[in-house]
Amino acid sequence: MQTKNILDEDQLPKSWYNIIPDFPTPLDPPLHPKTGKPVVPEDLTPIFPMDLIGQEVSTQHQIPIPDEVRDLLTLWRPTPLYRAHRLEKYLKTPAKIYYKWEGVSPAGSHKPNTAIPQAYYNMKAGITRLATETGAGQWGSALAFATCLFKMKCTVYMVKSSYAQKPYRKSMMQAWGAECFPSPTPQTRSGQAVLARDPGTTGSLGIAISEAVEDAATHSDTNYALGSVLNHVCLHQTVIGQEAKAQLESLDLYPDVVIGCVGGGSNFAGISFPFAGEKMKGRHMDTDILAVEPTACPTLTKGIYTYDYGDVAGLTPLLKMFTLGHDFTPPSIHAGGLRYHGDSPLVSRLVHDGVARAVAYYQTEVFRAMETFSRTEGFLVAPETGHAVKAAIDVAEECRKTGEAKTILFNCSGHGDFDMSAYDAYYDGKLVDYEYPTELIRDSLTRIPKTS
Amino acid sequence: MVRKIGFLVNPIAGMGGRVGLKGTDGRTHEAIARGAAPTSPARAGVALALLQGRGLHFLTCSGKMGEEVMVSSGISEYSVVYRFAGESSAADTIAACHAFVREGAEVVLFCGGDGTARDVVSAIENRVPVLGIPGGVKMFSGVFATTPAAASSVLLSHDLLQRDAEVLDVDEDAYRRGEWKTRLYAIATTLSSPGLVPAGKRVFVDVDEARARASIARFLTAVMREDTTYILGPGSTTAAIAEEMGLKKTLLGFDAVKGGVFIGNDLNEGGLLEILSGEEKVRLVISPLGSLGAVFGRGTQQVSPAVLKKIGVSRVILVATPHKLAETPVLFVDTGDPALDAQFGEYVTVISGDAIAQRARILRPIIPI
Repeated sequence: MQTKNILDEDQLPKSWYNIIPDFPTPLDPPLHPKTGKPVVPEDLTPIFPMDLIGQEVSTQHQIPIPDEVRDLLTLWRPTPLYRAHRLEKYLKTPAKIYYKWEGVSPAGSHKPNTAIPQAYYNMKAGITRLATETGAGQWGSALAFATCLFKMKCTVYMVKSSYAQKPYRKSMMQAWGAECFPSPTPQTRSGQAVLARDPGTTGSLGIAISEAVEDAATHSDTNYALGSVLNHVCLHQTVIGQEAKAQLESLDLYPDVVIGCVGGGSNFAGISFPFAGEKMKGRHMDTDILAVEPTACPTLTKGIYTYDYGDVAGLTPLLKMFTLGHDFTPPSIHAGGLRYHGDSPLVSRLVHDGVARAVAYYQTEVFRAMETFSRTEGFLVAPETGHAVKAAIDVAEECRKTGEAKTILFNCSGHGDFDMSAYDAYYDGKLVDYEYPTELIRDSLTRIPKTS
Repeated sequence: MVRKIGFLVNPIAGMGGRVGLKGTDGRTHEAIARGAAPTSPARAGVALALLQGRGLHFLTCSGKMGEEVMVSSGISEYSVVYRFAGESSAADTIAACHAFVREGAEVVLFCGGDGTARDVVSAIENRVPVLGIPGGVKMFSGVFATTPAAASSVLLSHDLLQRDAEVLDVDEDAYRRGEWKTRLYAIATTLSSPGLVPAGKRVFVDVDEARARASIARFLTAVMREDTTYILGPGSTTAAIAEEMGLKKTLLGFDAVKGGVFIGNDLNEGGLLEILSGEEKVRLVISPLGSLGAVFGRGTQQVSPAVLKKIGVSRVILVATPHKLAETPVLFVDTGDPALDAQFGEYVTVISGDAIAQRARILRPIIPI
């Protein structure tokens, strides 16, 4: 009974998988927030290096991974693919459950997969400092780690509610030499505006993005790095799905169901794009690709597919995506990394086109699934990851009823070692099951997302 | 932390319960004849013993209404500011509360039930917060701590918050007609302490309840339609919604608003039915009341089953602050019509912020009171 499937270091993918050319029609372009016209590369140069801008719009199927980046990725990659024998036995399911364990990275999640290339391309472009936002702290610590490897400075704007909930994430960033501020801060104009309007705000990813973008745009030595949403970020994460595909192939398997949790969409993109690409090419059409989100911030299941800003202040280009409106501040759920009003345009398009589908879960049922997982497979996963675990368990339980022996693959995107207070809250019966009042919002006809 | 506390105990509260009376008000002799013994002094004693030696000064009443419990709990730092003669009565409770405020009490701590809460709150008129040690037969009001010890913990907390709570008691008019109904009598300021929940486990977004109410109000007014009549139920959350619209609603009543203006205030069942017969689109905005988190059936006698049927259960919009939902995570429905109660299902959606809602479980009565 083999549990882990492990690839050699030389089997780490040599290129990233670009899904853009797989779409049957071109993607709707990002629009300039002021002019409303499609963004041109020059619009993005104040905050991104040219290499990343090129990747953002590339139509090349395979984009080579620079050797220097591959060397650093081997610190923890390729990651193991686990067969969840113990979970399957507990669920009495005929399904085969596999999970890609991304919690083995130094920062504890899939986030360094893009932090390293982003830091690398910026370093090559002569940038000495990166500014970014972080929700739960996974991305902030990943970028702190990556910039440390390239001897760059790093400034992290951390959503205030997470800053208080997860103080050790901040400590981790400090250990890698980054500075971390609770957002909104009084240091940026965006932060000042929010604080003036709402001094007691707990912050949001949208606000933190505004602060980091402003910091980058107003300092010539500084660029901006985003941990999710954008095409190049999703691209860098495809090492996950490519490895998983090879690992399953070595077992003569192809997944029937591919699952990832979605906040901005990057870990979902990472696990699913190589499989979604196959589907769009007309192969393995029955693959069920499942995006999982919280009921508190149900962007894909309840949002509108339209152009909206990526941040609160309206500094970013307008992106065509599912959105709950850039002025929406999601409630403080423990899966802080899933608190984002929008979603990756690529992931949104897949859901819009029916290549992938989305489901939403309540916090409590997610933690119940995390408990089942920790008591069978051992790993205490992050609350974000718990959403994927919950969906995998639901599919496996359905298989028990139907007798189908489906192959389920999910991205186990990060460990929950910094989320123990969230586990405590669950065991104390203190978790709140949030909802998004869709009926009232739709019925009102007035409060649609504010887009230009 | 508070330093100067007004304290009184209703020495006869709670006596009726064990002998099958629904309250002891005006029925002391009957309760004693049925074999009831005083219980509230002992309950008050549990709370006071925990407050002994904490540098607090108490203002209290003579004898059974306070001083006796002070002495038996080992508290010496007290002044008797009100003396009563003969059997204590509601008038004594009221007079004592006036004396507490006059002498500078920062909070009034009382031990009793809903009847005592009503008397205390009517005298205090929100000049200082009140906190109840549960010691009565009926305790539907939200001013009571869950246990006597919990009342002490709140007072000793360094993290005190003021919050609104509903005072509910038996509807005396209905009672005289032989019906048992509860009625909302007042909204009082009480104390709570989020600090009793460890910081990492705190789950609500806003520490400040007024801020949460403003968020709810902002959202509701943004989604309100011009062609719809909104009936706003009692309480401070619905009052905040009216305030956001530039209106001042009756705090304890049901008011109807359409197109930004009132079309009815303090409506009774008849008034509500009249509005419902004339208006096509009607929604009811209501907040759970009291210690039970009662949505219907405790303090909402205006919304009869006939009224609710006419509005439709699916047209009810529930609103509550995260603070309130943290205290009553399970809500209660008892419209008097079990089939109507069943329409609420197992869970309801409660608007708790700006575009934020919580899912809350609904309980129905097992034995109708």
